[in-house]
Amino acid sequence: MDVLLGSAQKDLPKAELAAITEELGLNESPVKQYLLWLKGWTITKPEQMTGLGLSYRDGRPVQEVIGERVIPTVVMVGMALLLSFGAGISLGAILAYLSFRGPIAKKVAGLLVAFATFVYALPNFWLAFLLVALLALRPYLYTLPIFGLHAPGASGSAIEMLPYLLLPAILLSLRRLAKIALYVQNMALEELGKEYVLVALAKGLSRAQVIKRHVIKNCLLPVVNLLGLALPAMVGGSVLIESIFCVPGLGRLAVESAFARNYPVLMGLTMLYGVVVTLSSMLADILSSMLDKRLELS
Amino acid sequence: MTSKLKLGQTLFLFLLTLALTSYLARQLQLMPPQALMTDLISPNLPPFSQGHLFGTDNLGRDLASMLWTGALGTMAVALTAALSAAFFGYLFGAVSALIGGIVDNFLMRLVDALLSIPSIILLLTISALITAPEFTKLLPDLLLRALSVSSYSDGLLPFFSVVAAIAATGWLESARVARALVLKLKEEDYFVAAQSLGAGSWHLLRQHILPALVGIALLEATLLTADAIIMESGLSFLGLGLGASTPSWGSMLRDAQPGLLAGNFWAALLPGLLISTAVIAIHLLCEGYMDTVSHGIRTRAR
Repeated sequence: MDVLLGSAQKDLPKAELAAITEELGLNESPVKQYLLWLKGWTITKPEQMTGLGLSYRDGRPVQEVIGERVIPTVVMVGMALLLSFGAGISLGAILAYLSFRGPIAKKVAGLLVAFATFVYALPNFWLAFLLVALLALRPYLYTLPIFGLHAPGASGSAIEMLPYLLLPAILLSLRRLAKIALYVQNMALEELGKEYVLVALAKGLSRAQVIKRHVIKNCLLPVVNLLGLALPAMVGGSVLIESIFCVPGLGRLAVESAFARNYPVLMGLTMLYGVVVTLSSMLADILSSMLDKRLELS
Repeated sequence: MTSKLKLGQTLFLFLLTLALTSYLARQLQLMPPQALMTDLISPNLPPFSQGHLFGTDNLGRDLASMLWTGALGTMAVALTAALSAAFFGYLFGAVSALIGGIVDNFLMRLVDALLSIPSIILLLTISALITAPEFTKLLPDLLLRALSVSSYSDGLLPFFSVVAAIAATGWLESARVARALVLKLKEEDYFVAAQSLGAGSWHLLRQHILPALVGIALLEATLLTADAIIMESGLSFLGLGLGASTPSWGSMLRDAQPGLLAGNFWAALLPGLLISTAVIAIHLLCEGYMDTVSHGIRTRAR
């Protein structure tokens, strides 16, 4: 109660204060509050929309508050995932090819690896706001819009958001991209030492063909496993990126509710993230057992 | 000694010295307090201006001294958080594996459940909870008086809450690693021998398990430091970090934002570069160490 109202508390009559406390259910003990919350989302029917409780701020159901923020985050994280895995795997393959090629190409690969390590060590929000400042001061460098979600008056469908969310998605994917590229390169180099590569080379395939046809396939499996881990990291990164790019997504909702001590929304978000992450790691497990039949046995 | 290890060591020691000297300088009052270094008339100075080596930020604070003091904030938070996370995580994992059975199952599912929440969301939730007066009121008055802080002051309480938030998300991974290690350890002959001689759990933990884990735990703590530095900068960036009068590199990034559009990118560039230097140094240190160790094993095997 002290937190929610702060100094405004002094100006309120005692009875009103008690009424608000009662309404928000804060007069119960914390344990009972938690049990009530548990009972809420397990027993209430979904169509009633009150299962997760009401937002402290405007009294709307938590599901509704969260629901209207989902789309931008899904679009952004989806794009970032595609980017980081697509570009990461291809960059890794190129790196492996370069370091397999000859002494000069190996030097280039070394430089690229150093660069990727550097990118991985940066906090991505720092890169983001430096870039935003740069682009805002030099608008001719980048023609797509930087801030916001869609043009004023537009309907705000997912497709209209794409150009707006491209830059945030790129920045969100950068660290992960660097990590995947390094990982794929490492594994590809290990694979390249194996005998089937020698056979393929002896058969007359070029180095690029060997990597494209044989090596990358064998590297894909552990990368799929990375997918399960990538999602929580991306979602975490989206919190900071969304606050920089003013994207009204889930991450900013989390920050806002953390500051406003809007506990029901925060709890709902935490639950949602937990479910999504658990599902994604399950999906990664299923995918990898589909890719490699041997895994099904264990 | 590989070149990686050397480079990492040098960089890391340099940053640590930066933090320590800034602490000493403040304690011995060799450095003028922040207020005196602030030059309100000339904000957003470029580097190498007169009197300000790295220029000033948009409030006219001297960047060089901010970076120096910020090293203390960042390093102190990161090291404390990482060490306590590794310590608690390893203890938790070791105890869980040692007891085994239902308890182990329950404890590990707890860890899994917490792991499924993205760390920054957990970080937000935890720091929202533990900075709330409901919580700080629960802390005994005595403790607060001992730390000589009120619940809103700028002193140790924000430090404590930031460290707690980071450690609370960092210990999970180490708990799992420790558990896997101890499970393997339990199969070792010497362990079985000690057990069959009638050693109790406490004795086993102290005499056989913890000594075997110390090396890896330290390595893990070093790696966690890198994560903690990035997490701290993220938290400070959102405004949940240390108080306004104790600068850290993360809060400097946050403070640098308004100055950016005035063209003052140095104030944002420098702390970011220091953060990435610290992270790279730590990774180099760990990789170099691992290389040295595995090299040692390889030569011994030959």
